[in-house]
Amino acid sequence: MAVRRLRAIAATTAAAALTLLTIAPLAYMVVVSFMPRGESTTLPTPLWPSRLSWENYYELLVRRQVDGGWFDYRIVPALLNSLGVAAVSTALGLLLTVPAGYAFAKLRFRGRERLLQLLIASLVVPGQVAMLPLFLIFKELGLVNSYAGVILPSLAGIFAILFVRQATLAIPDEMIDAARIDGASEVRIFTSIVLPLLTPIVVTLALFLFLGSWNDFLWPLIVLADQHLYTLPVAVAAIAREHAADGELMMAAAVVTTMPVLLLFLALQRYYLTGLLGGSIKG
Amino acid sequence: MTRQDRAGWLFSAPVLAIIALVFVLPTLLALGLSVTDYSIYALADWSNLRFVGLGNFIALLSTPLFWRAIGNTLLFAGLGVPMAIGTSLFVALLLNDATVRWKPLWRVLLFAPYVTSIVATAVVWRVLFNARFGLINRALAALGIAPLDWLGNPHTSIPAILIFVTWKIFGYNMIVFTAALSAVPADLMEAARLDGASRWGRFRHVTLPAIGPTLLLATMMSVAGFLQIFAEPYVMTLGGPAQSTTTVLYFMFDEGFKWWNLGQASAVAFVLFLMILAVTIVQTRIGKRHEWL
Amino acid sequence: MEGLGSTASGWTRRDALGLIPALGLVPVAGCAGSDAVPGDRDKTSPLTMWAMSWEGDYSPLLMPDFTAATGIPVEVQSLPTTASHEKLLTAFAGGAMPDVLMLFNGWVQEFATIGAVQPVPSPALVADIFPGVLDATRFGGRDYAVPWSVAPQVQFYRRDILHDAGYDAPPESWDGWRTMARAIKRRRPDDYVFLMLLNWPTGLITMLSQAGATMLRDRNTRGNFQTPEARAAFAYYASLYADGYAPMALSTEIQDPVAAFATGYCSIWPSGPTTLKDFERRADLIPRHRWATARLAGPQGAGPVSGLSSSLCVSSQTRRPREAWALVRHLTSVPSELRYQRLIGNLPARMGAWRAPQLADPVLRPFARQMQQPAAAPPVIEWERIQAEIQLAAERVVRKVQTLDVALAALDNRVDRLLAKRRALVEAGAIG
Repeated sequence: MAVRRLRAIAATTAAAALTLLTIAPLAYMVVVSFMPRGESTTLPTPLWPSRLSWENYYELLVRRQVDGGWFDYRIVPALLNSLGVAAVSTALGLLLTVPAGYAFAKLRFRGRERLLQLLIASLVVPGQVAMLPLFLIFKELGLVNSYAGVILPSLAGIFAILFVRQATLAIPDEMIDAARIDGASEVRIFTSIVLPLLTPIVVTLALFLFLGSWNDFLWPLIVLADQHLYTLPVAVAAIAREHAADGELMMAAAVVTTMPVLLLFLALQRYYLTGLLGGSIKG
Repeated sequence: MTRQDRAGWLFSAPVLAIIALVFVLPTLLALGLSVTDYSIYALADWSNLRFVGLGNFIALLSTPLFWRAIGNTLLFAGLGVPMAIGTSLFVALLLNDATVRWKPLWRVLLFAPYVTSIVATAVVWRVLFNARFGLINRALAALGIAPLDWLGNPHTSIPAILIFVTWKIFGYNMIVFTAALSAVPADLMEAARLDGASRWGRFRHVTLPAIGPTLLLATMMSVAGFLQIFAEPYVMTLGGPAQSTTTVLYFMFDEGFKWWNLGQASAVAFVLFLMILAVTIVQTRIGKRHEWL
Repeated sequence: MEGLGSTASGWTRRDALGLIPALGLVPVAGCAGSDAVPGDRDKTSPLTMWAMSWEGDYSPLLMPDFTAATGIPVEVQSLPTTASHEKLLTAFAGGAMPDVLMLFNGWVQEFATIGAVQPVPSPALVADIFPGVLDATRFGGRDYAVPWSVAPQVQFYRRDILHDAGYDAPPESWDGWRTMARAIKRRRPDDYVFLMLLNWPTGLITMLSQAGATMLRDRNTRGNFQTPEARAAFAYYASLYADGYAPMALSTEIQDPVAAFATGYCSIWPSGPTTLKDFERRADLIPRHRWATARLAGPQGAGPVSGLSSSLCVSSQTRRPREAWALVRHLTSVPSELRYQRLIGNLPARMGAWRAPQLADPVLRPFARQMQQPAAAPPVIEWERIQAEIQLAAERVVRKVQTLDVALAALDNRVDRLLAKRRALVEAGAIG
């Protein structure tokens, strides 16, 4: 038993060490964001701020006057933009892909198998192939430099459809057939029987859709010209190119970009870890 | 049309329409663009556009940077997939041990990098890899190893980016493998242990076959992902130094959005698609042979 | 936020603009529309302007005068310099250009060719500009931009470090530069001398101009990099790295060039007028008495040098050309240019402005003298791209990935490829 005890300690310590190593960059990011300007580029590299300084966050988030002019990195508007775009993307994404996933799993309709094969085959095509012509198409439609232009491509959720389909396959057919015999409409069956059963899947999907939209950086970078519409990664990327010198400021920007989603996902981890693991894991 | 027909189409038509608009249509258009010489001249005046057939593809074959990009991409995939899959598997196995306490805590924290934004974390890692002030060189110095110019040396730039990418993505497959490991038949494992099989033997003959399909699927997706690597070189090294981290997608993005050579860029995109298709077919064959698919 | 009932395509640009008040954003320049004609709402909506670098950050300060005089507010968007070329092209392709835009002079012909900017309506706007500057902004016999600032390159040097090595001022010949670098390096073996990063093209392009290399031939349709002049420039550039006088680094590694100069990591920094502003802002790090300016060294003494001079253009997609040109006139007027010079160190393009006392500062003298000898960039659309290729070839030589001859031949090859379309059009007589 002592051996077992020892093994437990060793294994747990190994896990803890690994975790510490993994979290270290994020911890460093937070630590540096509180350092006074210029401190992180002194030798030997400090691991803790000499004094807790809010100046980086102040400079990043607050509009202030310098030399008689206003200086504003517009991070807070970008944050709000990101929030809005991600929320709308998630809501619309769910609305579009969950019923489709169910349909591909449980509804026998003409062309279903063909379409399914095409969807799976399309996973091989890298998404970026479509980016260049899509920009031209959007230009004709007047969607360039608009929120719609950013949100629309993210709604083509092939992975999401397949994910929902996979989860829905597990629902016993008898339940659905019984409801059909009882005379319920297909829509009714979907909303009253299937959706409640799919709740953990929907929550997981919602989390990942939100995550995907929040972190999406390449397409918004291309499509958005007007800085008022910038989402957070685009705003941060713009600062990163111009102000690469200010390491502490960049860390503050990184914190602002990562923390909201990190905290969200830490809070909701029980839901989507279950969703991903399929409830097969005991603690 | 039956009831299910109607419902099926009602439920799936909207998303399929969007997929057609933002994915299928542009992809076909890309194919069309790849046989023209669409460039900034065409942006100015449509009449400057010419049909060039396979001209773009032939030009690509004699562009040294294109071959460089393919080489870099294959290097990324060749080194990165074992690193990423190996790390995920290793950590999943570690956490799967019954004697580890507080598993949920480790799992959540190890997954954390996956949900962070690439732009933000690339900036952080750029600082960590800094040759003079970075913590990584500081750690190496503590071990007595000389500092490396991680992002400035063309030979260490790909490993540096791979370390970053592995850190970022290993959490996802760790979870996937954890789920697969839990499905390894426990009685088989017990029997093997009673028979005196070594740790490695148990792994090879019980665990590996059980998680085989999952492993293959994860590897396939990982390969496809690595062949499309772009954002990390874009933010961390701008494709350098000396274009050592320019990948096929980076090359395509540069041609397309920086210089507006959409004809050439679409040709590159097509080549990338063929690469991924080829690799996928090979992997599917392997999978079928081992009856993992 | 709009209800979920609206479909994705319902999010038109108008909706997005409608959100702006809800987000609490305020147009940058002071009071908007107080002098507006009642009932004429369109006149008081803001003009948009895009600018890079310091101009982008400080342009708003020039706007209150304009708004007070005309009642039109102006919104300035600052673009990061390294991403500005693609952002502008993408904006043009997507139909999302601003009313007024700042362009580096090397890009004016490119943007004029693709029809992104409109010609200058009156010659008064381009009167009294430094000679040679207007050549870059002409296209098809018409002017397409109003030069705003000139930015010749000079060398900023550390007076104390050079003094220790026995120099009061840096030499102006290439050989002299190397001798001085050797002296400095002997005293400071762990530091470097020249702050020239491997992804900053201006250093090498300058040397090519000074060596007298004609970089393109055959009516600018082919590369011409295997001439003795080009070879000499490349060889000199590479030798600075090989001898350890310049660090083999990219801008992603030396992220703070001002700090590198201030700590003595490098003692000579070939750069333009914006560095004056950088130094002023970080004066605690690099006090005024420690640095000075001098003309750049050429093969046999100072020669012609190119620089990132910038101009203002009005986009062809603007719906308010008259107001846009009024803004351009305001920003390029002598008082505005002088005010700018005080704010960000940018040097005026109007010669009249140079008579002002503030421009008699000795630190500005090398700039003024250099402006008498500008070097012109080849007037081709692909020039931006060719510059990048030149720098990549140089990087390969410096990192010893290729020998000089192989790299130059490859460069010629590559440039020929890049100019293929232009060649076809020139041979067809479509362009000059």
